Amino acid sequence: MSFVLNGWYQAAWSDEVGRALLQRWICGQPVCLYRTRDGAPVALADRCPHRKYPLSLGRLDGDIIECNYHGYRIDAAGSCVGVAEQSEQPRAAVHRYPLVERDSVLWLWPGDPAQADPDLIPDLRWISDPDWTHVRGLVPLGARQELLVENLLDLSHETFLHPTTIGNAAVAGTPIEVSGEGTTVRFSRRMLGITPPPFYVKSMGLTAPADRWQDGEFYAPGVFLLHIRLAPAGTQEPEGYHMEVFHGMTPATQSECHDFWALGRDYLTGDAGLSRFQQEQQLAVMAEDVAALEVQEAMYATGGATMPESSIKGDVAALRSRRVMRRMLAAEQSAS
Amino acid sequence: MTTATMTEGGTAAGGRPGMPEREVVVGVREPAATAAFCLILTAPGCGPLPGWSPGAHIDVLLPGGLVRQYSLCGDPADRASWRICVQREPDSRGGSAWLAEQARPGTVLRVRGPRNNFALVPAPRYRFLAGGIGITPLLPMIAEVSAAGRPWRLLYGGRTRASMAFTGELSGYGGAVTLAPQSEAGLLDLDSYLAAPQAGEAVYCCGPEPLIEAAEQRCASWPAGSLHVERFAADPREAASRDGDLAFEVTCSRSGLTLTVPPGRSILAAMREAGLDVDFSCTEGICGTCETAVLGGVPDHRDSLLTAQEREAGDTMMICVSRCRAGPLVLDL
Repeated sequence: MSFVLNGWYQAAWSDEVGRALLQRWICGQPVCLYRTRDGAPVALADRCPHRKYPLSLGRLDGDIIECNYHGYRIDAAGSCVGVAEQSEQPRAAVHRYPLVERDSVLWLWPGDPAQADPDLIPDLRWISDPDWTHVRGLVPLGARQELLVENLLDLSHETFLHPTTIGNAAVAGTPIEVSGEGTTVRFSRRMLGITPPPFYVKSMGLTAPADRWQDGEFYAPGVFLLHIRLAPAGTQEPEGYHMEVFHGMTPATQSECHDFWALGRDYLTGDAGLSRFQQEQQLAVMAEDVAALEVQEAMYATGGATMPESSIKGDVAALRSRRVMRRMLAAEQSAS
Repeated sequence: MTTATMTEGGTAAGGRPGMPEREVVVGVREPAATAAFCLILTAPGCGPLPGWSPGAHIDVLLPGGLVRQYSLCGDPADRASWRICVQREPDSRGGSAWLAEQARPGTVLRVRGPRNNFALVPAPRYRFLAGGIGITPLLPMIAEVSAAGRPWRLLYGGRTRASMAFTGELSGYGGAVTLAPQSEAGLLDLDSYLAAPQAGEAVYCCGPEPLIEAAEQRCASWPAGSLHVERFAADPREAASRDGDLAFEVTCSRSGLTLTVPPGRSILAAMREAGLDVDFSCTEGICGTCETAVLGGVPDHRDSLLTAQEREAGDTMMICVSRCRAGPLVLDL
């Protein structure tokens, strides 16, 4: 399997990266992440140009990484600036990845740096907005990124995988409207006059009948946004409780990915107890997803590659995302 | 002739149960004629409503599982509101009666759509024929055609002048419009109105069944495809299949085979019957397995998978459900 490389993927949360060298695999490539003394984040290919030893196992000397195998010294531009204890100045370098820090996310572009356009980074301003609060984290997932993308683009699974938290019959029972062009896929689900599932009852004190809206967006290759609205049935915007969900779905290898997540809200923003509750619940929900996706990955990996898959209308958003990714991959492969 | 059918109590031809629903709010209710009223519908929160083109309708979902179709008769450029016109039928099986009693400013209605089975085709000139509430899909067509400067005429019949909606709006068009209420003019003179077809002229007719049948008879000698009708069918079961489907030919460019695809049979089925080995899976236009490149002709897309841009580009189609809008259809098979 190959990866779509020309796109922004989340490499880390801002607070994961500091003066300690961090290795993260992204799209099958090892990446060494750190900050220079003035706080600027850096992403270098994590293989010493000498004998491929991970730079992330080296030591940071000021803003220079000194490889712990033979002392090659690499600066923040990826250039070799010498070898410790020796007078040699080998002409060598490692790739430096375009890296943009915005709204607490470190965005990395694994592909052609000339195409790395920061305007393509999605809008996550609610993460920085003082009128919002959020909880966030990183869940490692032992499944290919495609399965996570499709899990999020078909939320009817909430009815079956998450019945004690965010799912009930209304989700799978309500059809979606799918839209989007180019490298974006959108879906919209309007559940009207329903009983809210337990997570929302406890988060918002909402009772039936309620309206629950889900507006999802997939920005290929690695971003999912879900705009959530809950409100007493029949009330109009801007009333209601709003939540935002973000997933940075970053492939690590063919069968693993990093599931960065954030869950934001615009109500009771000062309530630390509510934040703790939402964090616990979100992790419980994601644990259910991880269990399901890792089993699904095993079923995909062990056969049935040519078995045609049955699909229903609820699959349309996920099926469109497959087309988008396939097209992006084909374009990259034909260009190379 | 192409036909669209709407129905009382069932789904419109081409409408599918399970299509996305939305809420709209009645903003204004105003009388349109002695037994008809208009509802102006807006989105909750005053957001934009989906776009539509002349001929489109929405399904209004009423209590008890009733579904009624209403043509959108406002201005497609107005993305903030929709206008529908409801005729109070004395023998209504509930739909228009419920709306007549319940629909007031602030009432929330659940609707599906818009869908358009009665689209305005490009033509050098138009002849419109309306009976009663059948004027509703034609109103926006007339507005568009008039704005485009195409020559057109309308013959509009009804029981009495007072029972006919939109006569005020139509009077602004002057001599192109002929109002012919039965109480004043007797039965419509279709023999003269539908005589002498002009080159490329399109006829659009909507109204009660006897009017449509009469139009079909008079237009039988017109060039094929000139007459476009939309029916308000009494029997919901009639609308389950797509009455408007025509047979068409499809050529497989690689094998050289040309097949006829009859109504009620898909391109995929026709090909398999002809012995062609074609990949497919869901047969419902969802999964994309049967996707085939289009080398010639214009597909009539009925799948769920292609984006609006992909449909417009017209260079690919799902052969398990989609048909042909303009032939000859040539596929890369």
